Amino acid sequence: MVTVLAATTGNVADLGKAIAFGVGVGLGAVGAGIGIGNIFGSMIQAVARQPELRGELTGIQWLGFALTEAVVFYALLGGLLAYVLV
Amino acid sequence: MNAFLLAASSEFKPQEEFDLPAWVPIHLGPLDMSINKAVVYLWVGAAVTILIGIWIMRFGLSLRPTRRQTTGEAIYELIQGQMVEGSLPSRAIGTWFPYVASLFLFIWILNIVGFIPLPISNDHFHLAGLELPTWGIYAATANLSVTLALALVTFFATHEEGIRHNGFRRYFGSWIPSGLPPFNAKTAILWGLIVFLEYVSQFMRLVSLSVRLFANMLAGHMLILVMIGLIFIIHSAPWRYLGLPGAFAVYFFELVIVVTIQAFVFALLSAIYIGGAIEPEH
Repeated sequence: MVTVLAATTGNVADLGKAIAFGVGVGLGAVGAGIGIGNIFGSMIQAVARQPELRGELTGIQWLGFALTEAVVFYALLGGLLAYVLV
Repeated sequence: MNAFLLAASSEFKPQEEFDLPAWVPIHLGPLDMSINKAVVYLWVGAAVTILIGIWIMRFGLSLRPTRRQTTGEAIYELIQGQMVEGSLPSRAIGTWFPYVASLFLFIWILNIVGFIPLPISNDHFHLAGLELPTWGIYAATANLSVTLALALVTFFATHEEGIRHNGFRRYFGSWIPSGLPPFNAKTAILWGLIVFLEYVSQFMRLVSLSVRLFANMLAGHMLILVMIGLIFIIHSAPWRYLGLPGAFAVYFFELVIVVTIQAFVFALLSAIYIGGAIEPEH
């Protein structure tokens, strides 16, 4: 493995950009993962306490899910832009 | 280790799915109105949406509902109960329910069509002397121009309705949040900053609304393509099929959950924005 790394002779700038892109999107996914876990956890709690509110809560839950999930894609898009433009 | 080293980044290019060469070039002055893959997919989506609408609503309703009528009523109830009632004021429902409903159905069907393999693509193969397009997947909503156009309709509808219902001054005045200290020389900077942020946030809505749908569909397609593409990247026998179960899992996740949620959220947020403009909070 060490020899493979040491033997890297290709475009090191591209390598760095690829790593930065991956790490950036991964960090974005961490935040969204925590947020989505929170949303579904709260939903389970809410329905366990007041099952009759399930219908009303479902819409709000999916809205929150989509708003939170979109954060990953902002990271993805920013990463792609940086990857392409820099 | 050597078996894993990729050799074939030249023969596998997942980004080619999103290339849009013009099939029928149409140039009106500076406008490029060429027909390409995305346009054809939009036509397919529009045709299917219209046909579904006719199929559901144009054969009359009966007291003993058939399966067709139950489907229509379920869709109506979803849109009426989950999207429109909570976000639009009751006097605007008659005007804006059709918009929200067609937005939901159109985006939903565009997304679904995007995951069904169709013989609409840039590549061709030969079979018995005929040149046929290869089967591929592509979504019109994985194109920023399409989602931005849809978001722009909502954007203009929002402000048109806001001005029509509240008058020009009251509507733009309602963007200034209540609870600010009275305007004078000392608080001028604070005022400027907050009002600037409020105005910027109106444009950020446009960005977030379009980019959310676009990036979701783009990422879904890319993920499936890359997982299947491991076949071409890895060359040793058992490992190259490693991505296939993941590809199937992502495919069904997208087709069952993401497709519907993104259409739902786009329509719901449009309703919320329009409702918020018709009846500002203060």
